[in-house]
Amino acid sequence: MPKLKAKIILVVLAMICIVIQLQAQKKKPISITGNAGITYEGYGLNRNPTGFTGYQQRRPWNQVRFNFMPTIKFSKNFSLPMNFNFAAIPTNFAGPYAGLKKPTFGQFLTNPMNNFGLNPTYKWAEFQLGTQYLKYSDLSTGDIGIFGAGFSLKPGDYRFKFFTGVSQQGVNYSLAPAIPGAYKRTHYMFSIGKEREKDYLVAFNFSKGKDIVNSLSPVYPAAPPQEGFTLSAQVEKTLKKGWYIKTEGANSIYTRNENDAVNPAIKSFKPFIEAKNSTVTDYAAQAQFGKKSKNFDIGLGGKYIGAGFQTTGYPYLQPDRFEYTVNTRFNAWKNKTNVVASLGQRVNNVSNVSLKAKQFIGNLNWFTQFNDAFSLNVSFNNFGFNTNGFTATLIPSIKNVSTDIGVNPTYTWTTKTMSNTISLSYSYSKYNETYTLFPAPPVTQSNNTHTALLSYIPVYLTKDISPDFSVLYFRNDATGAKISFTTLSAGLSLPALKKKLKLRGQLSYTLGKLNSFTPDNNFIASANADYKLNKKLTWTNYLTTNYYKYGNQLGGTFNGANYLESTVRTGLQYKF
Amino acid sequence: MKSFILTITLFFCSQLLFAQVTINLIVSNRPPVNLSEWVAKKEVVTLIINNIAQGVQRRVKIKTTVKTTDGTEVSVTDLNLAPVITLPDGNTVLNASTVYPLEIQKFNGTYQRSLQRAGKLPADNYQFCVQLVNSVDFAPVTNEVCKIFFVAALQLPILMMPQNGQQLDIQKAKTAITFRWTPLMPRPQGPVGYRLQVFEVLAGQQPVQALRSNQPVLDKIVNNQTQFIWQPQLGFITDASQDSATVSTLPLNRFIWTIQTIENNSVITEGSNEGRSEPLQFSVGKTLAEELRKKKNTKD
Repeated sequence: MPKLKAKIILVVLAMICIVIQLQAQKKKPISITGNAGITYEGYGLNRNPTGFTGYQQRRPWNQVRFNFMPTIKFSKNFSLPMNFNFAAIPTNFAGPYAGLKKPTFGQFLTNPMNNFGLNPTYKWAEFQLGTQYLKYSDLSTGDIGIFGAGFSLKPGDYRFKFFTGVSQQGVNYSLAPAIPGAYKRTHYMFSIGKEREKDYLVAFNFSKGKDIVNSLSPVYPAAPPQEGFTLSAQVEKTLKKGWYIKTEGANSIYTRNENDAVNPAIKSFKPFIEAKNSTVTDYAAQAQFGKKSKNFDIGLGGKYIGAGFQTTGYPYLQPDRFEYTVNTRFNAWKNKTNVVASLGQRVNNVSNVSLKAKQFIGNLNWFTQFNDAFSLNVSFNNFGFNTNGFTATLIPSIKNVSTDIGVNPTYTWTTKTMSNTISLSYSYSKYNETYTLFPAPPVTQSNNTHTALLSYIPVYLTKDISPDFSVLYFRNDATGAKISFTTLSAGLSLPALKKKLKLRGQLSYTLGKLNSFTPDNNFIASANADYKLNKKLTWTNYLTTNYYKYGNQLGGTFNGANYLESTVRTGLQYKF
Repeated sequence: MKSFILTITLFFCSQLLFAQVTINLIVSNRPPVNLSEWVAKKEVVTLIINNIAQGVQRRVKIKTTVKTTDGTEVSVTDLNLAPVITLPDGNTVLNASTVYPLEIQKFNGTYQRSLQRAGKLPADNYQFCVQLVNSVDFAPVTNEVCKIFFVAALQLPILMMPQNGQQLDIQKAKTAITFRWTPLMPRPQGPVGYRLQVFEVLAGQQPVQALRSNQPVLDKIVNNQTQFIWQPQLGFITDASQDSATVSTLPLNRFIWTIQTIENNSVITEGSNEGRSEPLQFSVGKTLAEELRKKKNTKD
């Protein structure tokens, strides 16, 4: 806590210094761009009859969010972007702060839902203070917000980056209320390189994350304290005629349990990390090669993540895989046809520590504008998953195949006063999941979906009113369940009060049916109104309400159960 | 003749010794795949030593050998480093922290590489064998007792649909969004729960930041199936003039989704963080009406 206070004081002092310097200069007027505002969000959920819990709350009952994101430009060379974006009530469901309702001040500052960032920049020197989401590279660090201090220096073509801070404070484990807990995690990252934009990049990145073992009381039982160190090297080059190559190789050393005994048989990387029984060292690499141009792109990409590759900068990275894809995009027929396609394969368990599994992935999207009136879009997506089991240990083989085909013609005709667009979209999705446990015969579960959508959009050329209408039919046939939805929806957009008020609204009604039960009914109404109070200040409002009434599928006293869910957001936004 | 008598005497003595110390070994048939986790879980290995020496304390070392089912040696205890255990009278119960401390095991060839890179053994059936040896000359004190176990690392589901970065048709997404993923591998005997979570990405948020800070708009446990059809029931209103940097009360219609895998009512902690699969992002596109309005406004 005292350390945090010290950091805050430092930040405040830095700001005071800036103001003093600013007053001393008084040469040029200061310019401020960006925005600031406050938004209130209220949520309501009424469920009937009493005791029905089939639909759960999915937003906080009340929430207030603040945003203050100006960029103050003191001179041509000196600017101060700020990013203060925070909320009053914690709503964490995943990650270190899940379940925490009464955070300490330090936990509030480092909660991922809050940003408190300052980035004073002078010419090629940028100082990074407070919350920063820094992406050094795809394999070193990039997904985690860290509260701390650092810099990014770009003198000429050289690049020097450094940052250190805390991504999470210690959160004590608790059964009631349910808080999984987490250790305090500190980070250090450093990068050195040379770069010329649109030409080349060579960089070496280092990142380290470490849990503080004594930051919890009681000790978190489910996951031990961890430590990771990652090195990566990047080389990127843009060649002539749009050709490019991007590569990165990385090595991670990761200890899954800091409490384990030191193991001299495993290679350490002192002074950065000392190997223990749970320390693993592995590699990852990725490469992309291709060509980009106005009418034609082609690219070949590959990625390998070793079974033990783990980095604190990407906590959700899934290891032990090799994947490659070929992508292309081209325009043809005087740019009236656009085709985007990709083909690839992913192999899991390259290390052989699990069952080998392969996935095939193929996508195609073909769009043709035949003339001003008529266009056609065709899409095809396929993925397959295949793995062999272990008959001796009763582990089945699995084969999943998913195939989606879509066709979408659009026709537009125009009169003197309006243009009319009618669009039809049909898609068929087939999904088969087959389990085989020899000698039993294969068991296949099918899951097939038809979706048809018809939309009509009149656009008035002389009026500001813009309605739209659509009808959708969705049917899913699965083993043991048949679901269908029919949705009617309409939208309207119009300006009012001399265009100071922007109004948008949507209504939709869905009739849902499960097997032979009586249908469910769902009605959703949404509206948005933005009112410009003056040139800088806007009052924004959004309301959506969702009423759902079940048929007789729930059985007993819950037949006909229903709920009403509403969300309202209102706020003031000031544009600097 | 003397040597013959000595040999016979030694044989009988060793038999006597064997008879006085017996071991009983219990090994979980599906232990944790990370070998370093064995020491923390008492149920993985239990060694019961019964010493009926009547007042005589024995000093022994534990020789643990892990082999494949065809007898190929995977690891063996370095007896020079193994601690001396003084057996009291009666039963002594030990677990993996004493029977199989990793720092004193010598691994062979590919197994050493697998352990250093992944912390795991290759997926297979193995034998876990224990023998007590004399602490001085490492002469056998008991017979070798073996138990078979199977290890295969779990692979968390890989999210397949919607694909990463996919933009969904808003009119279709209003009614239903279909999620698909690959199953947990190897498929366990018991039920598997896939906790599907969808988080809305708010203005000014990074996608993973949204996952770690927002309340999910969908939080549903799907048992054994690898597909779920979601009726979002969200008021998707779009504004073609809005971009992700603009702060507005309008939803951005950007989402991040993940699966948290649950086996036997416990979250799988192996592999990725909190048993969560690598999340993917998707968005709900602007309506055709919005696009046409935008075109009209551009012309105006």
